[in-house]
Amino acid sequence: MSDPTRLRLTLNGHPLDVVCPPERILLDLLREDLNLTGTKRGCDLGTCGCCTVLVDRRPVLSCLTLALLAGGREVTTIEGVTPASGLSPLQKAFVDLGATQCGFCTPGFIMTAGALLRENPHPSRGEIASAVAGNLCRCTGYSKILDAIEAASRVA
Amino acid sequence: MHLDPFELHRPESVDETLELARRYAGSFDYLAGGTDLLPNYKMHLNLRPHLIALEDVGELRGHSLDRIGAMTRLADLERDPEFLRSYPAIAEAVREVATPLVRASGTLGGNLFLETRCFFFNQSYFWRQSLGFCMKADGDQCHVVPQKEKCYATFSGDLAPALMVLDAEAEIRGPGGARRVPIGELYDGAGDGIRRTRLAPGELLVAVHLPASARRRRSTYRKLRVRPSFDFPELGVAAAGRWEGDRLEELSLAAGGLETYPRRFDALTSPLLGAPLTDTKIEEVASKLRGLVRPVHNTFLAPDYRKKMAGVFTRRALAGIRPGATA
Ligand SMILES: Cc1cc2nc3c(=O)[nH]c(=O)nc-3n(C[C@H](O)[C@H](O)[C@H](O)COP(=O)(O)OP(=O)(O)OC[C@H]3O[C@@H](n4cnc5c(N)ncnc54)[C@H](O)[C@@H]3O)c2cc1C
Ligand code: SF4
Ligand code: FES
Ligand code: FES
Repeated sequence: MSDPTRLRLTLNGHPLDVVCPPERILLDLLREDLNLTGTKRGCDLGTCGCCTVLVDRRPVLSCLTLALLAGGREVTTIEGVTPASGLSPLQKAFVDLGATQCGFCTPGFIMTAGALLRENPHPSRGEIASAVAGNLCRCTGYSKILDAIEAASRVA
Repeated sequence: MHLDPFELHRPESVDETLELARRYAGSFDYLAGGTDLLPNYKMHLNLRPHLIALEDVGELRGHSLDRIGAMTRLADLERDPEFLRSYPAIAEAVREVATPLVRASGTLGGNLFLETRCFFFNQSYFWRQSLGFCMKADGDQCHVVPQKEKCYATFSGDLAPALMVLDAEAEIRGPGGARRVPIGELYDGAGDGIRRTRLAPGELLVAVHLPASARRRRSTYRKLRVRPSFDFPELGVAAAGRWEGDRLEELSLAAGGLETYPRRFDALTSPLLGAPLTDTKIEEVASKLRGLVRPVHNTFLAPDYRKKMAGVFTRRALAGIRPGATA
């Protein structure tokens, strides 16, 4: 029988093979074991969306996911959607339109919005607002975030 | 927050799941999407040494108009336009559960069996320790209704009332074989409030079945919550009815978020059959329901207000399912 604590998955396009205790939460694995600190820990309880990553291309709260249950899947973090140099069009729209202030919520918004735009490249403002309803921002008041996602959808 | 160590089991069939449930009786929790269980584990609420993850059990997946597997993600129901059109009450309830990110992982089974909630319970270990633990976890008193027998934590699932008014049934498998019960009978209204359901030890919810008659009903779910895109229900009222012309042939009404268990109000609705549902009758039912429900002060909004709003939301729900109603 294979070792039940052996975790194999694809992380940002690269194979990962680590030993992981059952109680390890995906967010902790990313931040503490793998030093991928772009994914943020906000509430740690499912309320803020800061910890959003993609699992098989769908946005998921990494603070409520057991790392072992992501085995065999494709996990993408903010590091995985940021080009080697510069920013993606979505990230650039956030910067240009003032949709990021303290920046703590931004990785989560980029992951959720990126998944939305892949599935629905030209969403209405209402569709954008519903899609990011699980991401909280304490700074911007949201309008600029919706502006940025809308602007990015026009570029795409 | 790190979790305390536990042993994780990953069965691949219902039989294997039930075998594990038998072996670890009394010392395990099932893990579905984890969106309710893991926050509670992080707060050290009633930890068990074994988790049986249902993720890999294929028989619990998939849904059709007649049957929803227990491991169906709420997001999957939300993406099925035919399903949503067929059951407006379920559609409205699903869309109002938590946030899209929670619904991406949260499942039907977890929604029906989610832990009841209370201001004094859903707190960190440190918080609870400083006040004194309560009966529901680690203690022997109740901070809401001081006494030592019963917990009044609130049932806060949105789907149960919607499924109850559509006469949905739960398919359960356990050591004694398979059985089917109406959704309302999953909850033990006469219990101590701590044990949430009538599932026998080792039983597992496999699926929920919807009868064809449910598709002939007009239905709705009306939810009161503080932040419209986040919060648990402060109350939720579901109604479903079928008319012949303007004559009411079937009517059912259920409410959750007000007490420890969701409940149906057949005694209020059955006298209304065979006649039109007038404004006066709606007012009567709404005020009776308001008199019957007993919210306590363990959620965000005050019990008096929730009681009052239970009447208002009942009125809106009933008016909303009349033929020709627009909202
Ligand atoms: C921020 C936030 C907001 C929320 N808001 C709402 C809300 O507005 N409305 C609402 O209804 N819920 C809400 N929830 C709770 C929860 O996310 C949902 O109820 C979800 O559907 C639970 O499903 P799950 O699969 O994640 O359950 P889990 O956490 O995996 O399980 C919950 C419980 O059900 C048991 N269980 C699961 N499946 C089975 C089965 N097949 N047989 C027997 N027992 C089983 C588990 O053992 C556990 O005790 C919220 C959660 C969060 C984090
Ligand atoms: S109602 Fe009482 S016993 Fe139940 S969780 Fe709240 S304080 Fe604890
Ligand atoms: S850190 Fe995961 S939702 Fe807040
Ligand atoms: S930019 Fe500060 S929380 Fe959103």
